[in-house]
Amino acid sequence: MSRTAKICCLLVIGLWLLMALAPSVLAPGDPLAINPTQAFAKPGLAHFFGTDESGRDIYTRVIHGAGDSLAIGLAATALGMGLAIVLGTIAALSPRWLDEIILRILEALYAIPSLLMALLIIAFTGPGVGPAIVAVGLSTAPGYARLVRSQIRSLKNSEMLEAATVLGRGTWRKSRNHLIPNALKPLLALVTLGIGQAVIWAAALSFLGLGTPPPAPEWGAMLSAGRTYLHLAWWMSLFPGLAIVSVAVSATLIGRALGGKVKSL
Amino acid sequence: MSEQTLITVKDLSVSFDGTPAVKNISFTVQAGKVLALVGESGSGKSVTARSLLGLSGGTVTASTLDICGHDARSLSDRAWQKIRGNTLSLILQDALMALDPLRPVGREINDGLKEHTALKSAERKQRVLEVLKSVRMPEPDVRAKQRSTELSGGMRQRALIAQALVGNPQVVIADEATTALDSQLTALVLSQLRALKQQGRGILMISHDLAQVAHLADDIAVMRHGEFVESGPTQQILEHPQHDYTRKLLRAVPSSVPRFTALSDLGAEETTSPARKIQDSEQHSPALSVKDLSKSFGKHLAVSSVSFELPRGKTLGIVGESGSGKTTTARMVLGLEKPDSGTVELLGERFAPSTASQRQNLREQMGAIYQNPLGSFDPRYTVGQLLTDALSRGKSKRASEYRKPVTQLLEQVELSADLLARNPRELSGGQRQRLAIARALAPEPSVLVLDEPVSALDVSIQATVLDLLDRIQLETGTSYLFISHDLSVIEHMSDTVAVMHQGKLIEHGDTASIFGSPQREYTQKLLSAMPRLR
Repeated sequence: MSRTAKICCLLVIGLWLLMALAPSVLAPGDPLAINPTQAFAKPGLAHFFGTDESGRDIYTRVIHGAGDSLAIGLAATALGMGLAIVLGTIAALSPRWLDEIILRILEALYAIPSLLMALLIIAFTGPGVGPAIVAVGLSTAPGYARLVRSQIRSLKNSEMLEAATVLGRGTWRKSRNHLIPNALKPLLALVTLGIGQAVIWAAALSFLGLGTPPPAPEWGAMLSAGRTYLHLAWWMSLFPGLAIVSVAVSATLIGRALGGKVKSL
Repeated sequence: MSEQTLITVKDLSVSFDGTPAVKNISFTVQAGKVLALVGESGSGKSVTARSLLGLSGGTVTASTLDICGHDARSLSDRAWQKIRGNTLSLILQDALMALDPLRPVGREINDGLKEHTALKSAERKQRVLEVLKSVRMPEPDVRAKQRSTELSGGMRQRALIAQALVGNPQVVIADEATTALDSQLTALVLSQLRALKQQGRGILMISHDLAQVAHLADDIAVMRHGEFVESGPTQQILEHPQHDYTRKLLRAVPSSVPRFTALSDLGAEETTSPARKIQDSEQHSPALSVKDLSKSFGKHLAVSSVSFELPRGKTLGIVGESGSGKTTTARMVLGLEKPDSGTVELLGERFAPSTASQRQNLREQMGAIYQNPLGSFDPRYTVGQLLTDALSRGKSKRASEYRKPVTQLLEQVELSADLLARNPRELSGGQRQRLAIARALAPEPSVLVLDEPVSALDVSIQATVLDLLDRIQLETGTSYLFISHDLSVIEHMSDTVAVMHQGKLIEHGDTASIFGSPQREYTQKLLSAMPRLR
């Protein structure tokens, strides 16, 4: 990775972290404060991104929404990855028949489009932030699990592990020192890519009214609210939309850069 | 006819982005003669060969570069295409890599004719069969329809040579065409090249091993750092080498060199009186005792009832062609593969079959060295971390606690302590193998299993690693189970030799008696194919 690319990545991550952890630094106002006299104000100096139908400042809401959106993305990816590591590792290390069973289940889950599966899960649990996290997390798990399994499989039969066996290392030491770190390293890039994807899905669920309930400043929900007024207040949809796109794009770029780095190692 | 000059090269230089790879070399290739370029990897010999084909990829300058009447300094891409395959062709090293696995070999060979001749389809087929016959391919009409992956190693090698010959070239370049092949295949390729020479073609052979070219070459040019250090008739180079580097290469050839005689300058001190450090009390029981080991994979019987003993402080060499069951035997000895039947005893105790926990205490008594050391290192570890990990039994990779023993290990394998913070990927092939040896020595094992430990190394680097192994055996009394397809390495390194063929151990005895008076027909055949200098 070039030096400039590294700095850019760090800057972007820093900016997102700042928005998520201390949104008031960038936008001191209250994201929920309504001001009917200022409804549908165009973007300008008073309101950078304009206001919505209740006169809430879009800029403030987009900044404050970062926390929720990123948290859902991170939590969902963590859930999906955690599940995948457990399932994938069990499949890779277990006897053939158990491996086959787990694989078939994963394949069946894989065959259902992820968003559809998320909808299915929410149909059981009802809408909300928690269910959205679970839904997105569960629907990404099968893909990751297959990857973890194949990683561990190929490492398990590698000369590196054989050499460790010959040196007298037990199963626990081999897994801890060689198997797990080497299997997870290439996944790091994938996880970063996954976060971007999870943010999009979380937003999509909220857009459908199945994630964060309004009036909380969640990007997908804001997008959904803006849809009704698209012809007279385009800014209501544009800026939350841009926020989603920018997270997804920067997560993808960082993921790619990490991926390139892992490969070059 | 025989004195006809096919290629004349004067003052050839090749550089890559300003870095010279070949500097001002001159030579000629004559009809019915063999010129061999010999040198280590990186000496510029392959670049030289490729610049004759217009494939060097660098900047080529020469005062004369005449290829069968064409001035190759100013050829267009189209003109080069006409020369390649037609006038001049290349036999590559690895038949499996060089042939397309998805196409029948007959079609691969046919391609050359399509490109260069106006022959009709039926005539081309006829010619393909002819050329396959000329390289003595068994059942050429059947083989032509098969893919390279369906052919045996020997047939694949024949197909590769047929591909190079189909355009009836006047000059054939063989670039390490025998390297890493087992002795039977090497003999096959050499006999094919000899046939080409008798047909009056010119041959340019490229190798890092003087022994490989000694019997075929009329002239030898020794290359180093892009220059010829010495060139002349083969006899003169082999018997009266003028340059130190030539002498070094000659000395590095291990065949017929007695045990513990240094092959390189580094090991020169220990040449006299091999006083081995073995306690008398232990001398009776063998370090390793293998009884009736068998293993089959599905219907294929890989190893069948193999028994041998490895005395303490000695080396047992296991030699055989690829696929003879050597590696499977090694894996069973190491406890990596469960034998179908038979036992392995290490220092008088049962090692296999056994469970991991039962053999836990014995584990450290046996180490392993592989052909490709890099694959056996965790890619995240530096040199220092690898050795610390080995010394601390996987409990730590912080270098500070183990600095002293780590440095000692590095000294033992003649590696500089400057390498501690480096990643093994940055090391040369020889350095990597030294590091692998250092790591294997960390738990102070009684037995080392070495599976083709020097097969990926140039002869001159191989010599330094073999000398190192000799020295370590003298110092520590470690026993070696030394596996190789290379007879000359086995001859130099072993006290006793076991010959494997189709999963069976067919002959077993002192190195001198096996190499001096082999009893079995197969062993005799194997030995007659062995390239020798002396």
